[in-house]
Amino acid sequence: MATSSFPFPRRAPVRFTFALSLVVLVVFALVPAGAVAVISFTDLKGLPGLPVHWVGWENYIDYFGKGHRADNWNAFKNTIIFASLTVVTQITLALLVAVLLNGKLKGRNFYRSVVFMPTVLGVTVTALVWSLMMNPSGGPMQSLLGLFGTDSAFLGDPKIALYLVIFVQVWMNMGVSVVIFIAGLQAIPAELYEVATIDGASSRQAFWYVTFPMLAPSVTANVLLGIVSAMQSYQLTFVLTGAMNKATQVLSLQVYQLSFGTRGGTALTQSQGYAASISMIQFLLVGAISLGTMVWLRRRERVL
Amino acid sequence: MSADRAAGRRESHDAVRPVERVGDSPSAPSRATRGANRRGRRIGRRIGRAPVGAYLCVALLMLLFLFPLAYLVNTALKSPAEFISNPVGLVQHPNWENFPEAWKMGNFGRYVVNTALYTLAGAGIGTVIALTMGFPVARGYIRGAKIWNGLFVFVMFLPNALMTQFHLLIKLHMYNTQLGYILMLGVGVGVGPLLFRGFVLSLPRELDEAAAVDGIGYWRYLLTFVLPLSKPALATVFILQAVWIWNEIIMATILLADANLWPIATGLNAFKGLYSNNWALLSAATLIVAAPLMVGYVFIQKYLVNGVVGAVKG
Repeated sequence: MATSSFPFPRRAPVRFTFALSLVVLVVFALVPAGAVAVISFTDLKGLPGLPVHWVGWENYIDYFGKGHRADNWNAFKNTIIFASLTVVTQITLALLVAVLLNGKLKGRNFYRSVVFMPTVLGVTVTALVWSLMMNPSGGPMQSLLGLFGTDSAFLGDPKIALYLVIFVQVWMNMGVSVVIFIAGLQAIPAELYEVATIDGASSRQAFWYVTFPMLAPSVTANVLLGIVSAMQSYQLTFVLTGAMNKATQVLSLQVYQLSFGTRGGTALTQSQGYAASISMIQFLLVGAISLGTMVWLRRRERVL
Repeated sequence: MSADRAAGRRESHDAVRPVERVGDSPSAPSRATRGANRRGRRIGRRIGRAPVGAYLCVALLMLLFLFPLAYLVNTALKSPAEFISNPVGLVQHPNWENFPEAWKMGNFGRYVVNTALYTLAGAGIGTVIALTMGFPVARGYIRGAKIWNGLFVFVMFLPNALMTQFHLLIKLHMYNTQLGYILMLGVGVGVGPLLFRGFVLSLPRELDEAAAVDGIGYWRYLLTFVLPLSKPALATVFILQAVWIWNEIIMATILLADANLWPIATGLNAFKGLYSNNWALLSAATLIVAAPLMVGYVFIQKYLVNGVVGAVKG
């Protein structure tokens, strides 16, 4: 094996720094993650020092039971809507924008930077900027609606709040997908387009038969990255509409709310074991969907 | 037609691009724009350049991304009274007072220091982990490459562990301390180790051997050879984690009870809770947070874009 060709005089330093990093990683990342699985079978409370009991599968049975069905189904449904709509919208728009900004335009690096900028500004700034834009009492979007003789409560309207959060999420994260697509576009050999032209392909056909198939790996990367981040992200929703808002509550927020509730409230007596079982269900869901999507997209790559 | 083709490789790219996509773009919904696209298409064919339609789409795109920020600046300059009487219009009497007031009331001086500490220390720890684990695994100096690679992938998918992180820090007597929060941020390495492992594969192995023959030990080799050679890759790992740390507001509210220890993003969110009816002041506060990020962005942009692309290939 490669280990036999170790060039340095002593192995100890390699092992020492490796082990040190591994210990930090295990203690502060893997132990809490593993502990989530363990405590999902207990009735652990948020207040430290209270007795903890094994409850077996009770938390999971509870989750699927009648008592919490409305809440759980709501958060589950919101997560699926949020993740699927975000991924589809973000990737479709990002592909169009990438194709647009891959062209020979004056100042194209500037445009790319602008599209990527929200990623850097971060979630609080983005959320505040859009709360301001969607301010129901006299914000610019309200004025725009006013031109058509209508108005809206925007994030205060439970019917559309989730979709507005999705819009802001796409606004914030689209730049990442655009950058990935642009990298993919630049890797396509120009000869392919020449051949397509010689064969008499129109530019529309060239897009569908050259650009799109050749972009398959970028699509795979974008979809996977998008699914994982959309299924797990809750920071934006947290700032835009709050953790308690049922209209936009996703699984991660439900875990947060059940574990900690409001700051300093009585919520510390709530069952974190139950919250942990939801976290595990979410973890398995993200894993299954990512894995399934990956298998499907890789197969698709081969077909294309 | 022939003008496009004669212009060669790059042009042929372009010819495919805007000509069709422009018309399909959902950001150009109105009939007027579509008409302009068609006109642009004709011009595009004639002169072999990006057609007018593409620029129209870019203009719409820029409006979507820059208008909210311009509106933020506009609001931040208004006095609260002016905002109430005229929320949308252009600012008439710039009220610079908002900035010092927001700075003072929001405790932002404190938060800036905290955030700088958390970002440097947290992303620093993550980068050291990526370096000290990614390098030997890529080289096979540590046995069990398969297991470690699996671990590098697994750390990207960890479940939401807020409640166990909370209990762990309490047990370790690090709850509500900057050290505890920094360690939790440091292990949020995400794609870092995997990314750096991929990069090491492009460093020549002979260099290790040559250095070892000259009697250079492993640690000195890491510091004096690997570190300078992989500066762009490490910078990318660092910045990707730093961006994640900027966005981490929920962990901070749980692991840090003392508001004086919060990072700026959490502080800004709390500020929003307190002054949600004073948009002028709130906008000024938002701008205080956003401005340094935008300036910094100009410098780190290259690494950031590399990082995103590298993360995907890795």
